[in-house]
Parts: sequence; C-alpha cells; structure tokens
Amino acid sequence: MTLLSTSQRSGDPEREALQAARHRRWKRLAVLALGWLAMLAVWEYASWWFGSRLMPRPYAVLMAAYQIVADGSFFTDFTASVLKTFAGFAVAIVIGAPIGYLMGRHAFWRAFFQDGITVAGTIPAIVYAVMSLIIFGLSNLGPTLAVALVSIPYIALNVAEGIRGVDRSLIEMSEAFGRSPRQIRQEVLIPTLVPYVFVAIRMCFAVAWKVEALTEVFGGRSGVGFQIRTEYQLFDISAVLAWTLLFIAFMLVIERLVLAKSEAHLLAWRPQERNAL
Amino acid sequence: MSTTLGDAVRPGRSARPRRSTTELAQQAPRWQKLFATELAARIAAVLAFAVFWVVLSAVFARVPGPIAVVANLIDEFARGEVFGNFGVTLYRFGIGVVLALVAGTAVGVLMGLSQLSRAFLESPVLVGLSMPAIIWSFLTVMWFGFGDLSPIVTTFLTAVPFVVLNVFQGVRGISRDLRDMSASYGVPFTRQVRELVLPAVTGFVATGARYAVLMGWNGVLLAEWFGGSGGVGYRARYWYDANQFAGFAAWVVLFIAFIVALDRLVFDPLVTRAFRWRDAR
Repeated sequence: MTLLSTSQRSGDPEREALQAARHRRWKRLAVLALGWLAMLAVWEYASWWFGSRLMPRPYAVLMAAYQIVADGSFFTDFTASVLKTFAGFAVAIVIGAPIGYLMGRHAFWRAFFQDGITVAGTIPAIVYAVMSLIIFGLSNLGPTLAVALVSIPYIALNVAEGIRGVDRSLIEMSEAFGRSPRQIRQEVLIPTLVPYVFVAIRMCFAVAWKVEALTEVFGGRSGVGFQIRTEYQLFDISAVLAWTLLFIAFMLVIERLVLAKSEAHLLAWRPQERNAL
Repeated sequence: MSTTLGDAVRPGRSARPRRSTTELAQQAPRWQKLFATELAARIAAVLAFAVFWVVLSAVFARVPGPIAVVANLIDEFARGEVFGNFGVTLYRFGIGVVLALVAGTAVGVLMGLSQLSRAFLESPVLVGLSMPAIIWSFLTVMWFGFGDLSPIVTTFLTAVPFVVLNVFQGVRGISRDLRDMSASYGVPFTRQVRELVLPAVTGFVATGARYAVLMGWNGVLLAEWFGGSGGVGYRARYWYDANQFAGFAAWVVLFIAFIVALDRLVFDPLVTRAFRWRDAR
C-alpha cells in the first residue's frame, strides 16, 4: 500500500530517500548523545557510591577543568607536553627511518632488526617511562626519550614497508632519463616515504602521548603528567580528573582533526592509498 | 646513502662483464655467504645489543651493566622473591584479562551486529581507549585500597576497550554477501555460525586477547607500583625507590621475558591458526 501511495504522489523517491537518510542520521546522533549521557550517569553513580572525595562529581571536575583553562596553566603545560612529544617524534624519525630503510632494502638487516623491533613493541609503557628517568633523571629529556623509544618500532616498520612499496619502474625510468641519484631521492623516494612516516606517527600518537604523560608522572618538571602527579599528591582528585579530561579531549582533537586532516592532505596525490587507509 | 634502488637494476655501468645476480651470489666466498644468513643476522643482533648495553652502562653511571643485572637476578631467585611475587601478579592479571575478554567479546559482537548499539557504545569505547592506564591505577587504588581488587580492576579497565575494538572489527568484517547467500540457500543457523561467523571472529578475538595481554600487563604493573601490595610491580618499585637500579632492571628483564614468551609462544601461533582461513596461500 505504501508503494502505491508513493508512486501516486508522483514520484519523489529521491526526496523520500533523502528524508529517510536525514531521519537515520538524526537518530544516530541522538543515540550518540545518549552514549555520552550514559557515561555521565555512570560517573555520577560512581561518585555517589565511592563518595565525592574519592570520585568527584562531573560538575566539580568540569569546574576544575574550566579553572585550569582560565588561569592559563592549560596552555603552558600542554605546550610543554606537546613539544616534548614532537621532539621525541623527531628523534624517532632520525633513528627509525634509517633502520626502516635498511630493513626495506636488505634481507640481512631485516633479520637483524626484526626481533628487536617486535620485542620493543611488546614492552609495557611503564618500563620505557622508568628507564628514561634512570638514564636522564628529572629533566625534559626523559619524556622525549620515552616517546622516541616507543615510536621507533612503528616508524621503522612503516618506512620498511614504504621502501618495499616504492615503484621500481619509476626509478628505472628516471635513471633512463639521466636523473642524478640525488634527484631520484628527492623526487621519488622521499615523496613515497613521507606518507608512510606520517601514518606511523598517526598510528603511534596515542601511545606516545600516553607514555609521555606517564613519564612526567614518574618524574617530570612540567607538562600534563607532572600536574596530574602534583594534584594526586595533594589529594585533589577533581583536579587530577580535570587534567585527565583535558588530556583525553586534546588527544582526540589532535588525532581526529589535525592528524587525519593533514594526512588526507599529504596522501591526496595517491587516491588508492587514501581509500585503503 | 649514495646507493639508490636503481643500482641493482642497472648493471653494465662498470667495465666488468655483465653477470646475473645469481652468478654474483655464487661467486661470493663461502664465509661471506655464511655471514649473510638470517641466523647470522640474528646472532649479530644479539651481540650488537649486548655491546650497546655495555657502552650505555659505561656512559651513564646510573645505568646498570648486564653483569650487575644478572647477579641481581640470581640474588632475587636465591631470596625466593621471584615465584611468590610472580604468582600474585599472574593471579590478578589472569582474572582481569579473562574478564576483559568475556565482556569485550560480548560488547564487540553487540556493536558489530546492531547499528544503534554501535552508536551508543562508540563514545565510551573511544574514551576508554584514550584513558591513560595510570589514571585507572590511581583511582582504583583509592577506591579499593591496597588489595587484589585494584590491580584486577585496572587490568580489566585498560584491556577491555582493545578487545571490544578488535571483536567489533571482526564481526563487521563478516562478508555480507556470504551471509545473504547462506540465508537464501537455507543453510541451517548452527552451520552458519560454525562455518561463517566463528571462523571470521575467532581471529579477531585472538588479536584482541593479545592486545588485552599487552595493555593489561602494563595496567597490572602500574597498579602494583602504586598499590604496594606485593607482586612484580611492587617489587620493581622497591628496588627503584632504594636507588638500586640493577635490582629494578633484573625485574624488568624478568617481566619482559615473560611477556615476550607469552606473545611468541602462545599468541603468535594462536593468531596465525585462527586466521589460517584468511592468510593461507
């Protein structure tokens, strides 16, 4: 019967489909919001169960987070943490990219590094954090080293993958047309590798960001983790949770917006890659 | 970096007669071939690591050398601290991981099968994935005190989102066409489950279990580090606080060996076996 009525209304199947799609989208959004509400409800329940001293209520945490943003410590400490993270990435690229290059080119080096890299991937974050502290003591170098150690396996593996994926006929062609090795490196190899390095960074950003904070908790002098530890020692749990909240929000924003956008931008020249990722 | 990929494909630049790569390989002396094998590379890697460690301990006074670490490891065995603490940790870790697997698989299947439950559970899983394990360990230590419960809950909470994510991907990856086809050809439900759903999901459950183990191990160590009620993490902290980094490193060697052995001996074969329908050639 419905079929009849739609055809009688002389056919806007397109509009109806659009309407149905919009309806579905609204429903999805509503359920999504419900998910957040449910999380808040669980939180409220937990703070009632454990008492608001051990588990502050969402409202108190939000106010504390607002305080942190308003008095400017959000900006200084997050900048400190971000700088350390990216310094760690830089170190990881400097060390990991040549390892990946060797692994991609020679079977010998692949066998040489393979075991170490798989083991490095299974080591728990706490080991990296404490090891970096033992080496560098209380300084900004500790978190940087921890981030580098965590990221090197990802970067090496991705660069090795990228080297193996380089189009050999492109290189042959550039040689046939008499390009110098330097030109080939700059125009063929590096553009092929950049996206792989970038994917590696995006893949390990979440892990690295957590390890960075963890190292600061154990012994940092600035940054998010340092603030979390200080507030924990003062037993100000709502401030601990406020910093955590900002930490998670920041991570999701960087991951979803900044990295995803710039990756799409970097990979725009090879649509098949973009679709595959 | 003067060699490019092109050198291999452009012989004949030199004055020597052109040879195929197999000929070149056959020409190499015996010892050279011996050094180029995979086994030689692995042995070289172990040696290089040992040298690196020794150099590191020579440069940084606070880094213990291999000999000191092995000596501490033997001492710790002699004191009888190893098995008791490992047993305590394994007990907590095991309960947490098994609970995470059960709950995570259930939630993941639910998310894969129904659109609405997916939209509902998406954000909690996302938040769970981004929550640092240390916050869980702080909170659970405050909530449950210095007992077994806080490491168990920390393990569970850090591991569960990763299981959910993997199982969800597995369920979503079940081929729609195969499902439709088996429905239209009247394949009995039990056979559908046995031959379509289970093989598709077990591999992802195995991968999820692997992540659960890696993440949960970090969680249990953190909770014991701050909880102070025995276990591997507690013992490692004991040495760290005493500024005896060789003792700390001995425990690090122990629990890295444990997790690597678990990964290699249990999960690698398990994941390969569970995915054999997909990766077989």
